[in-house]
Amino acid sequence: MANKFMKSGSSQARWLILFSYIIALAFDTMALLENAMVVIPPISLMVLLYWCAHFLDKTHLLSAFILGLLADTLYQTTLGAHALVFSVLAFLMLRHRLRFKAHPVWRQAFSIGVYMMLYQILNYIFFSPVLDSNDAIQFWSMPVIAIIIWPLLSLIFRRITTNVVKG
Amino acid sequence: MHFVIAFIAAIALMSADHYGHLMGNFRNALLTTITPLEQIASLPKQIYQWTTTDFSSIDALKIKNQKLETEILLLKAKQQQFTNLELEVDRLESLLGTTGKITNQSVQIATITYYSSNPLSQFLTINRGYLNGISEQQTVIDSEGIMGQITATAPTSSRVLLITDPDHQIPVRIQRTGQRGILRGTGQDTTKLDFIPKNSVVRKGDILESSGLGGLFPAGYPVATVTQVDELGDNPYLDVTARPIAQLHRSRKVLIISKEPLPTKPKEVENGQ
Repeated sequence: MANKFMKSGSSQARWLILFSYIIALAFDTMALLENAMVVIPPISLMVLLYWCAHFLDKTHLLSAFILGLLADTLYQTTLGAHALVFSVLAFLMLRHRLRFKAHPVWRQAFSIGVYMMLYQILNYIFFSPVLDSNDAIQFWSMPVIAIIIWPLLSLIFRRITTNVVKG
Repeated sequence: MHFVIAFIAAIALMSADHYGHLMGNFRNALLTTITPLEQIASLPKQIYQWTTTDFSSIDALKIKNQKLETEILLLKAKQQQFTNLELEVDRLESLLGTTGKITNQSVQIATITYYSSNPLSQFLTINRGYLNGISEQQTVIDSEGIMGQITATAPTSSRVLLITDPDHQIPVRIQRTGQRGILRGTGQDTTKLDFIPKNSVVRKGDILESSGLGGLFPAGYPVATVTQVDELGDNPYLDVTARPIAQLHRSRKVLIISKEPLPTKPKEVENGQ
């Protein structure tokens, strides 16, 4: 019964998920054009992690892979690099999404902070960005920004999803 | 299982793109996909600019300004060539023809729609794509010097990898001495000149111009000015830092140079918006 509910929720919210990815990519592009991508976390990745934890009937790995490819194109990095990072992080979320979903929002936010730190470490290993002291502070403080953003993002998506699935 | 497939596919893509450069068309297709997103993302800024501008005389001024900018750009680009030609003739006279010739190239004018400057990648997006005959590896210059090269094309826009990008390298020579080296980007709006032996005479203020080696960049265009020269312990090469001459983040109009030089004197120039 519960499985049936989850399946219907995921399929009903299909357009919402797609739309949310488009909006998230637009936000990422905005951050890139305003030269704030070092400090602003990738919203598309955060949205992906949200859907991974929210709808348990899908693995979301195809979405992770495609979003990663689009991120590679957007950031002008080697094709497949972000796809790999997004897939790895989505996979890690899949491994403990039941526990993650049971946590209160503030604990989820700290978990997301850990994910974003992992993202930055992988970024650092893959792309070896040359960071001056100012950039380095911004680069490594990005997970903190993610922790602040997550409760807001989570609240907005929970409300919208509830309306869409109920409606 | 899904993860294993995604993992293997990502590694295969990375290898194909990094080592084989086989993903050009695929990247172009992806760039075409995200072009509307880039346009949406730049809307708030454009709306802000529109609302904070006086509309009464803006149209007339815009047209006039565009005309003048285009004229100045073309003249400055020509002047660059002539200055270089003068130097080239001097050098040829003294060295009996040891350097290459500067050829006439046909150009297209494009407008920069947005740019990104961050430690991971430094690039521009311009409003000319493969429908305008733009192709990968074409050189892009502004009125001062070389800015970079086209790396991906969408139907009506293209990506230009700047010379300051960490992945970018360009063969150059020191204008004063003719010494050759490779100029690479650092990701921090500066460049480093590699493979200059310690016994070379490099001074602060020396101008680096494209050498034309490799056949990608046309020879004789100014690229960067040397700002710092250091010796690093036992390293046989000098540590040379150079600042790009082109106004990478201030230019609005750029010229895209065709790959093939013109056989006769250049007459045709297509005007951009």
